Parts: sequence; C-alpha cells; structure tokens
Amino acid sequence: MAWQFCLVSKMQESVIMKIHYGTALGAVVLVAIHILFRMTQNFSESLQYESVIANYHFLPYAIMLELILILLSVHGFNGLRVILLELKQGVGYEKAVNYGCIAAIAVLVAYGSRTILMAGFGM
Amino acid sequence: MERQSNREGIKGWLNPGRYGLERVAYWLMRLTGLGLLVYFIAHVFETSSIVNGKEAWQKMLELTQTTEGHIILTIVIGMCVFHTANGIRVMLGHGGVGVGKPGRPDYPYKPASLNSRHKLCILASIGLAALAMMYGLAVLFGE
Repeated sequence: MAWQFCLVSKMQESVIMKIHYGTALGAVVLVAIHILFRMTQNFSESLQYESVIANYHFLPYAIMLELILILLSVHGFNGLRVILLELKQGVGYEKAVNYGCIAAIAVLVAYGSRTILMAGFGM
Repeated sequence: MERQSNREGIKGWLNPGRYGLERVAYWLMRLTGLGLLVYFIAHVFETSSIVNGKEAWQKMLELTQTTEGHIILTIVIGMCVFHTANGIRVMLGHGGVGVGKPGRPDYPYKPASLNSRHKLCILASIGLAALAMMYGLAVLFGE
C-alpha cells in the first residue's frame, strides 16, 4: 500500500486534473442513466423495497452503481482536496490533506461496495 | 509576515463580490461541489439501510420522503445541474475553447478569457439549474 501512496503523492497535478475531468464526464453519463431508471416508473413506486432490490439484482445496473460510486468518490474527494489546498499550503498540511482524501475515498468505496454486494447477492 | 497578512483564508474564499460574474461562478462551483459531496456521502449511507431488510428501508424512506426531504432533493438537483453545466464550461476553457486569442496586454487590461461567451454560459448554467429545480419540484410534489 505504501508504494501506492507514494505514487499518488508524486502524481503531477496536471494528471490529477485529467482524472478529475474524466471522472466528471463518466459520472455525468452514468448518473443520468441512474436518474432515468427512477423515471421509468412513478418516483415513489421506484423507491419501494422490491423495486430497489430488483435493481441491485440486475447485474449491469449493479456494476453501473459500483462505477458511479468509484467515479463520484474520486471526483468528490479530489475536489475537496483542491479546495483545501487552495485555502492553505505547507508540506505537512498538504500531506495530511492528500492522504486524508485517499483514505476517505477508500472508506466510502468500501462501504458503498458492501451495500451493492450484500443487496445484490441477498446477504 | 507579508504572506500571512495577505492571506484571507475562508473569508476571502467566501467573498463573491470581487472580479464579477466569474468569481460568483467560481464560488458557486465550490459551494455546489461541497454540497453534492455531502449529499453523496449521505446517499451512500441512506441506501445502505436496504441490507437491513424491508422495515429498515421503509423507516429510512419515512425519514427522507417528506416535504423537507423533497426540498433538499430539489436543491441537490439544482446544485447538480449547475455543477455539471459550469464544469463543462470550465473544462472547455481549460482546453482553450472560447477563451479568445492571446494578445498584447493593453489598458484597461481586460483578459480575453473572461469574455461574453463564458459569461453567457455561466448565466445559462444558472438558468438550467433553475429549470431543473422547477421540474424536480413538479415531479416530487406533483404525485
């Protein structure tokens, strides 16, 4: 894991911004599909337990949810990182922000993936 | 010392009054981004209740499918549309689209990149967000 952290901390900001824009474009397309799924039926009907569980059991949709989770986590926490680095600078502070955001992405993706897996496999 | 005294921190970041509409867009972009991140985390947490069975899911729905919940969702729709539309403008701008040709800086030093095309895009983003919020209100409260 340590080498991965070193890799991220040494990554050029221009590369990180390309990832930021790439995740944004990917998320826009997938979130639009995610919202359109809610519009295929009445909004409150689409939120009923059976309907939502059926969504998780549909493998392509579950994969799409996982992709949205990863894309939005990376985009969101990288955006937060950019804002925090704009506000204050310093070696220790920047390291804390970078590693803090990587940790937050990992935690959120793990927690969201747990839901997708458990609901998808009926655990 | 000079650096410290010039640093405005969050107060400076929150001041949308300077530098015109672009500054407002910069401020809104960050504000909507933070709002959407908070909503996303809450949404991941909210949907995780489905693994605890039908009762837990219904309880969560009772909490979120309220008038206040629908108002929050409408604000989220507006933030999402503005963030997306303005984000595409920013991306195009970073790629050199619509920023004009570089020229000699002459008085009154108006930067070519801060032009009417980008201002129009910012206003269109705000307009689109307002329209999407109205549509959201109609869907959420029209049932």
